[in-house]
Amino acid sequence: MSRLVKKSPSLCTDLPLDNTDIRNKLHLLWQLLRSCFGPTGRLKQVHNNIGGHVVTTSTSSVLLPAISSSQPFINLIKTSILNHVSRFSDCGLFAAILCLSLIERAKRSGLRGSVAISVNKHLLGLCTGYLQGEDCGCKVKLDFCSSLSLIKLSRSIISSKPACVLTEAEAVHISKLAVQAFLLTVPCNSPGIVRLGKIVTVSVEGHSVLNSAVFPGLLVDMPDVFGLNKVENLHSNPLRVVLFSASLAGDLSELGDGIIEVHPGVDTDAQILDQLLELGKRVVAEEVKLFVCQKVIHPVLQQYLRRHGIIVIERLGINVMEPLTQLTGAQPVATLHTTIPAKAYGKVRDVDIRQFGSKTMLHLHPPGESAICTMILCHRNETMLSELKVVCQKTEHVLRLTLREPSALLGGGCTETHLAAYVRHKSMNEVTETASALGCTQTEYFLGVEGFCRSLESVAAALEHDGGNCLIDLTHAHHWTLPADVITEHMEDSLGLCGCGVMQSSPNKKWTYLSTKYPQFSPAPLSRDTTVQPRVLDSFTAKLNALQVAVETANLALDVRYVIQDTN
Amino acid sequence: MLPVEHLHLEHVLQTVSVLESVILRSFGPEGGQVLFIRDTGQAMLSRSGTHILTALRLDHPLARMVVECVLKHSSVTGDGSKTFILLLASLLRMIHTAACKGTNVSHAYNSRKAAEAATARHLADKLLAFALEELADVIAMGVVPYGYCISWEDFTAKTQSPAHTNNNCVQKLLASFFLSRLGRTHCDFISNLTCELLSHWKFKNNQPPFTLQFVNDNLPALHTPVSGFPISCSRLIEGQVIHRDFATPCPQTDHHPVKAVVFTRYLQPKLLSAGEVLELGYGEQGKERSIVQFSAWAERSLECVIANLQSLGVSVILSAVKQSAAVLALAAQADMCIVECVSEDELSLFAQLSGARPASDCWMIESDHVATLTFCRPILLGAHRYVFLSHPYSVQVKPCSLVICGPGEGQTDQYACAFRDAIHMLPSKRTLQSNKNTSLEMENQIASAPPFQKCVLEPGCVIPAGGTFEFLLNHALLQHHGRSCSVSDDTNMGIPAVSQLLANVLLSLPRQIYSHSPRCFLQTQTRLLKADVSSKVFMLDLGLESVSCKYQLLLAVLQCVSSLLQVDAVLRTQTALRTQSHRLPNISWEGTEDEAEE
Repeated sequence: MSRLVKKSPSLCTDLPLDNTDIRNKLHLLWQLLRSCFGPTGRLKQVHNNIGGHVVTTSTSSVLLPAISSSQPFINLIKTSILNHVSRFSDCGLFAAILCLSLIERAKRSGLRGSVAISVNKHLLGLCTGYLQGEDCGCKVKLDFCSSLSLIKLSRSIISSKPACVLTEAEAVHISKLAVQAFLLTVPCNSPGIVRLGKIVTVSVEGHSVLNSAVFPGLLVDMPDVFGLNKVENLHSNPLRVVLFSASLAGDLSELGDGIIEVHPGVDTDAQILDQLLELGKRVVAEEVKLFVCQKVIHPVLQQYLRRHGIIVIERLGINVMEPLTQLTGAQPVATLHTTIPAKAYGKVRDVDIRQFGSKTMLHLHPPGESAICTMILCHRNETMLSELKVVCQKTEHVLRLTLREPSALLGGGCTETHLAAYVRHKSMNEVTETASALGCTQTEYFLGVEGFCRSLESVAAALEHDGGNCLIDLTHAHHWTLPADVITEHMEDSLGLCGCGVMQSSPNKKWTYLSTKYPQFSPAPLSRDTTVQPRVLDSFTAKLNALQVAVETANLALDVRYVIQDTN
Repeated sequence: MLPVEHLHLEHVLQTVSVLESVILRSFGPEGGQVLFIRDTGQAMLSRSGTHILTALRLDHPLARMVVECVLKHSSVTGDGSKTFILLLASLLRMIHTAACKGTNVSHAYNSRKAAEAATARHLADKLLAFALEELADVIAMGVVPYGYCISWEDFTAKTQSPAHTNNNCVQKLLASFFLSRLGRTHCDFISNLTCELLSHWKFKNNQPPFTLQFVNDNLPALHTPVSGFPISCSRLIEGQVIHRDFATPCPQTDHHPVKAVVFTRYLQPKLLSAGEVLELGYGEQGKERSIVQFSAWAERSLECVIANLQSLGVSVILSAVKQSAAVLALAAQADMCIVECVSEDELSLFAQLSGARPASDCWMIESDHVATLTFCRPILLGAHRYVFLSHPYSVQVKPCSLVICGPGEGQTDQYACAFRDAIHMLPSKRTLQSNKNTSLEMENQIASAPPFQKCVLEPGCVIPAGGTFEFLLNHALLQHHGRSCSVSDDTNMGIPAVSQLLANVLLSLPRQIYSHSPRCFLQTQTRLLKADVSSKVFMLDLGLESVSCKYQLLLAVLQCVSSLLQVDAVLRTQTALRTQSHRLPNISWEGTEDEAEE
């Protein structure tokens, strides 16, 4: 039968951004993401229509994949943001909110698409140039001599994820653990190219967060406590380890496609088992104390090895294989017949048993310095635990990024307002040349600048969810929040600290509401000798990339004039 | 009885106008992208006219005929599909107006529609005849003097000195190509990157076309798309990227140089190939034959292979296929690292650069299978870890790879695609330019145009983009019109009208380009017509386009119009989809065209 089916014509949408339906959908997405942003963001529950388990989250990397839309436009933006998050782990919501408000403001300003795009691109250049420059007023150098600023950075990430449901003390504990684990993965004295180690995360449900801990070395699951009673005897330091990557269950792979004819009376299984026991004998003779296999080990062989006082770990899984080879220095063996060369054996200094709730784990201590560590994460229930796990992985990634670029940006919305003030000031000063270089009129240029700066400021304002007012001070252009129930007379008393916590309110400061027009000024950098350190820090690398991705994605969306959907 | 659908001029015009309205969205400096969603749900972005037209999956036979014509044209020149549609629409509109005005002259037709159709057809034929006979000369006189000739010297000059020299024509040509394909924001950046890549791949002893051919052939292996980064992070990296990760722990020490071997088959001998029978039991001499012996033999032979490689100093194995766990483990024990499932493209590039032969039989490894590399290490590009290696510098060229960054896959794909087409487009310009020397390329010319027109095509002439060609040709045609009016008063009435019509059609393009400001349109036109032939500095920032491509485009459009107007009816035949009908391939317009021939 012929499978020829008539192709139906494609579905076309002309000028998608002029379409109210699409605009409404984009606005809805903006509202949804905005409400999740920051430490006081509202959580979202995601559950599917077939009764899967409910996920509570406010993280873009969990939330965005859950949003599926028939609208290709939404998917376009979603993919861009998710790609950014998968590379940098942070600032996903920042990028999404900025991108969506750039699109909305550009459309509302009525600028021609090409003008809006070129102005946005120019202003992005201004921003990245300023952020990367030496005299950037919203950047702080990270000091690796003390772990304090690293803890602050990880704390900002962890506290921006309210779905973890952490108390103040718990958040501090987890931030410290994250930094401790990160520092353990940085090898101290290895010459040449530095290879970072790995954090293996184990999650334990039903325990207090404060029980979470970090251990140097590796903790592997030991479901079978049965064979462990002899562990105490194992103190012939260090212990010899052998690591198998092939199955030891007695199956022969790689035989080929031919036919095997077995004569009666020949017991192939017994022959193979003999061969396995032969291997066991050799291992015993080599004084191996820890026998690890990635796959399944034949029960008879297991029994044999245990009888000889060897700890057997099977079904390790591919993920733990690499850290284990790094930890022990062993090379995986996949042959049954050839002799195992001496250097294929590895070592562990010591083993002991640790109990976490229902989990019994074998702790393998590294023989020397090693960049492998295990992080045990505990939380009260599964949902919070899975969010906490995601957050800790993100934190680790962000901390790693600081090794390339040891800087951080002021958090709490201060970077956004500061940047907006800088862009306003800068573009005002060079309007004539820029407008002619971009091929637009000065009015068009100002409209573009206004849209760009307002979008940046709206991201800072998105941090506020409790009806408070957002303000900006007129010297450093930091972001301040005025709680909703405050009368304006006592403004400076109730303002307290700015978003990043580096500045304190004082009577000689001037403020203005973020949504109002203010005279442009050059935002002052932080004074060098200040003893006050910012309380909230954002990842520099992640935010810089997020800014670029957001503007490029917005430009792309503004550039799309036609959508063709193949409905076949 | 088959349903007959009569086609009138209005129908043709309507159909083409619909196509035009789609194309217009991405035409010119104000145009934007078109977002496609494939039937697989994958998003794709493009400004390419051919992409847009094919993605529409049109049903109407006439529209399909037009799309077919466009595709045929752009496969020859690699460009100009959007302009094609715009010219076609504007031409049909003019013909329609002219035909409506001119019909009362004839009385032989039984309906007004038929009379219109006849006039239109007549006009189209005359236009085509005029274009075939005289257009080349008009262009040669009126447009070519304003153009430049690009040569390979420009190309090499540009790539050695940094940008902003005035005669970097190749870069300009690329810039205007990328402008039309990717939009204004990144066209300069990408065209610089292209030039840089080409200069890296310049083989010292070979002609530049060789470079283009080489890059064109190896582009899949030479670029790596990376999503999640801004486009401005795209860059060149010196060395070759193998788009796979190490299957064994990657080399810990950086000892130099690194020796590598390419394998195309399994290293572990298969015990039994299909069709063979292994008998287990007691042999003739009473010796026991067990399965264990066979696998032991296989492992030992593998050990010998690895030992042999070790004696040759090999530390990297690139394999076209997946190897067994035993191979990986033994290689790791011998301090070798293996890269599995390397694509054919990458292996072929590797072989070309290293000069080493790929080994198919693991028992016969000799020194000419062993490639020497300066380094081989992992590289993290986006989400993936790849193998990055470098060939020694002695190989004439500086091998480098292109990393294309973009926020999403849609964009990296679009950029990679534009990149490929740009490389593809360049040789066609070269061909036009260098046909003095090679007779082979002359044939391409002759195939598409009568021999006496080669005077236009020969110089490989380029002209600033942004409507320059259209303004100049419009002017030249009007002058031509004036001249032929005075020379031949009423013997050849058709020609002047025809050339005037063509001149008007041409102006529709710059009208679109400057649609956002009519003032700009007039300014450019006046400036051009006042400009002296010798002062070529005008509008260098607009990029360049090829004159001969433009000429071919005009001819193709005129041909398309005249064939469109030949059709007078559509017959919709019924074919059951289930029966394997031999008529299926030509179910649409091809059949109807036959019918229409009188």
